[in-house]
Amino acid sequence: MIARLLMSLTAVLIVASVLWRDPAAPVAQPHPRFVKLDKHGNPLSPWQGPWSCVLDTTQQLVWEVKTDSENIHDGYWTYSWYLSGDPRTSDRARGEANLGDCYFETSRCDTQDLINRTRQAALCGLTQWRLPSAQELSSLVQAPARPGHAHIAQDFFPHMKHGDYWSADHSQPLSGHYRRFKQGALAVNFHTGKQYSLPYRNAAFVLLVADLPSEHHSSRTSGVTHQPTTGN
Amino acid sequence: MRKATFVFLHMLTIVLVICSLFTGLRFSLLTQDWLKFLSALLPQGNLYFWHIGSASLLSALAAGYLLLSLWRPYRSSPSHYHLWVNRFGYLIILGLLSSGWLLWLGRFVAIAQPLHFYSLWLLLIYLLMHGWAYFIQHGKYVLSALLPKQPDKHSIAAVISVTAGGLLLYSAAQHSAETLTVASLAPEEFIEIDGLGDESHWQRAPVYTIETHGGINFDDGRSTIQVQALANSQESYFLVRWTDSSMSTNHLPLLKTQAGWKIQQNGFYEFDERTFYEDKLAVMLSHSCEVGADNTAQLGNRPLDGKPPNWHGKGFHASMDGKIRDLWHWKAVRTNDMYLADDNFFGPPAIAQQGQRRYTAGYQPDGKESGAYVMNWQWYKPGLVTPKRLPDQSNAHLSVLPWFGSTPYTAENDDFAPGSTLSSILYRSNRFEGDRADVRARGTWDNGVWTLELVRKHYTGSEHDVPLTNGTCMWFSAFDHAQVGHTRHMRPAILRYPL
Repeated sequence: MIARLLMSLTAVLIVASVLWRDPAAPVAQPHPRFVKLDKHGNPLSPWQGPWSCVLDTTQQLVWEVKTDSENIHDGYWTYSWYLSGDPRTSDRARGEANLGDCYFETSRCDTQDLINRTRQAALCGLTQWRLPSAQELSSLVQAPARPGHAHIAQDFFPHMKHGDYWSADHSQPLSGHYRRFKQGALAVNFHTGKQYSLPYRNAAFVLLVADLPSEHHSSRTSGVTHQPTTGN
Repeated sequence: MRKATFVFLHMLTIVLVICSLFTGLRFSLLTQDWLKFLSALLPQGNLYFWHIGSASLLSALAAGYLLLSLWRPYRSSPSHYHLWVNRFGYLIILGLLSSGWLLWLGRFVAIAQPLHFYSLWLLLIYLLMHGWAYFIQHGKYVLSALLPKQPDKHSIAAVISVTAGGLLLYSAAQHSAETLTVASLAPEEFIEIDGLGDESHWQRAPVYTIETHGGINFDDGRSTIQVQALANSQESYFLVRWTDSSMSTNHLPLLKTQAGWKIQQNGFYEFDERTFYEDKLAVMLSHSCEVGADNTAQLGNRPLDGKPPNWHGKGFHASMDGKIRDLWHWKAVRTNDMYLADDNFFGPPAIAQQGQRRYTAGYQPDGKESGAYVMNWQWYKPGLVTPKRLPDQSNAHLSVLPWFGSTPYTAENDDFAPGSTLSSILYRSNRFEGDRADVRARGTWDNGVWTLELVRKHYTGSEHDVPLTNGTCMWFSAFDHAQVGHTRHMRPAILRYPL
C-alpha cells in the first residue's frame, strides 16, 4: 500500500514538473538581411521601434524608412525627378523641379528637396543620402508576404505604396506614351516589382539610400538585442 | 455480457474518455485562464475532430453497453464502495454526453454549457475514486484485469459494432448543418444598410437562431444570435441581431496622465485585450460545412509545426486543406463608420515575418487598394506613447478621430489636461477601397441587442471570397469588448436560396 502511494506521489511530481514549465513565448528572430536602426543609427531588435532606417547587410547600404507621421519621410509624398548640379564635379542639373506633392515645402516637391532635408537632419547619423540605383532598388523587390502588400519586406519597410519609386538612373530613352518627353529616369514599381522608364516630370515615390561608412560596418549590427520590450 | 467483452469495452472507454477529457480541457482554456497551467499537458491543433470523434464513439459505446446490459448484463461483484462509484461514473458520462450533444446542437446552451464544464471536473474526481482507488487496492494486478486477453467472437463483434456505430454517428454529426432559408427580394425592393432592419421585407425572411457560448465578457459567456437573409439576383442581405448587454465602443483609448499619454489596456500586449476594446461580430463562410469552424481552429500555444507560437496561448485560425474560408469582421468602432465590415479570410498559415511581433497564421485581411484606419500612436508601448494626431475641440469626444478635424501632434499644441481621453483610431480615409471593401455593413445597439445589416455580391470575383450560393455554410461569433475571446457554435447554417 505504501509503495503504491509513493508511486502515486512520484507520478504527481512528474506531472507537476511538466506543468511547471512556462509555455514557449514568441521570440524575435533576426532577419537574415535587414536590421532596424533608430533615428540616431543605433541597431534595434526586429520587434523594437520606432525605427527610421534599415541596414541592408548584403549590400552595406542604409535605407530610409517611410512613415505615416506627416514628417518629411511620410510615405504619401511624391516627387518629380530632379537633381541639382554639382559644380565640383561639373554635373549639371537634370530633371524637372517641383512637380510632386508634399506638405513640407512651400512649393511642390522634387527628389532633391527630400535629399537635402534628409541630409540636413542627418537621418540615422548619416549625411550622404542619395537616390538608389535601379539595381540597388530592385534588390529590395520580393514577393508580397500578405495579400495587398507591396513587393517588399513590408515588416521592415512599412508604408510602401503600390507605385513607382525613383532610381538615380537618368537619361533613359522613353517610349510609347512617354516618347514625346524623350528622356526620363528609371523607376521601380513595388506593385509589379518591375522597372519602368518615366518622364522626369512624373510624380513618383522615393526611398533614399546611403552608403554605410566603412567604419560602421561592424558596429551597426553589434549590440542588437531581441527583447520583446515593445511591439508593433 | 461476457467478461472478455466487458474488458474490451472498458479498455475502449478508457481511451475515449482520456481523449475527450484532454481535448475538452484544451477547449476550456479558451475561457478559463486559471487552467493555463495545464496547457503543457494538453494536445494542440484541430481538436474538434478528436473531441467529437471520441464523443461519437463513446455515445455509441454507452448505447451498446446499455443494450447489452439490459439483454445480458455483466455479472461482477464490486465492493459497496465501487458499486456506488460506478453509478456515479455512469451519471457523469450521461451528463457529459447529453450536455455535449446539446452544445453541438446549439440548444439549451444555458444549461448544457455549465453542465458540460462541471461534469468534466466530476469526471476527474470519478477517475480518482475509481481508477486510483483500484490501483491503491490492487496494485499491478489491476493491469491484468484491465488489459484485454484473447478476444472471442462476442468481444470482437461488440467492438466492431460500437466502432461502426460511432463512426456513423461521427460522420452525421460532423456534416450536420441547419438551414438558413434566404427569402427573395424583388429588384424594386430597397434595403438601406443603416443597422435598423426596419424594412418590411425582412418580415418574410425566416429567422435562424443559434445560441453561442464561450465569449469573454458576455453574461455567462453566451449570446443568442438571430439571422435573416434576403437576396435579389445580384446581392445577399443579412440582418443579424445578437444579445450583448453593453455597448462597447471604448477602443484602447489614450488617457492623459501627468507623465503623458498612456493606452488604457488590459491584455493588449498579448493581443488578448478584454476591457478596452470594441464590440465585434465575425461571420465565417465556407464551401464545406464541417462542424466546429470547418477545421480552421488550431488550438494551443504552438499548434502549427514550424510556425511561431501565439502570445495568448489560445491558438490560431488557419485553413489546413488549402481552401479559403471567407471572414466578415464587423467592428463597432473601426469599420462601423466606414459602413463596412472588414473583409478578411482564413487561408493556409502565412509565412512568419521577422519584423512582425504578432503572427496570425491563416487569419489575413483581403488586399486593398487604399484607405485605412491607423492606430493613433507613433509606436505601441505598454507605457507612454506619442499620439499621431490631436482632435480639434469639437471632435474630442468622437470614438474615431477624423483626419479633417484633427492636427498632427506636437508637444506644444498638446493642452489636454490630465484625465482627458483620446481616440486610438484615426481614419486616414473614410473607407477601404478594393477587395477588402466588398461587405457593406452598419450596426446599431439598442437595449441590450446589436442589430447589424450586411450586404455583399453573390460573386465578387475575389480569390479570397467565398461565393454566396446554395450550400454555402456560415458560422457566427460575437465579441463583447474582447479582442479574440469570441462566442462560438458548432453546427453551421447552410444557405438555401429560393429557386
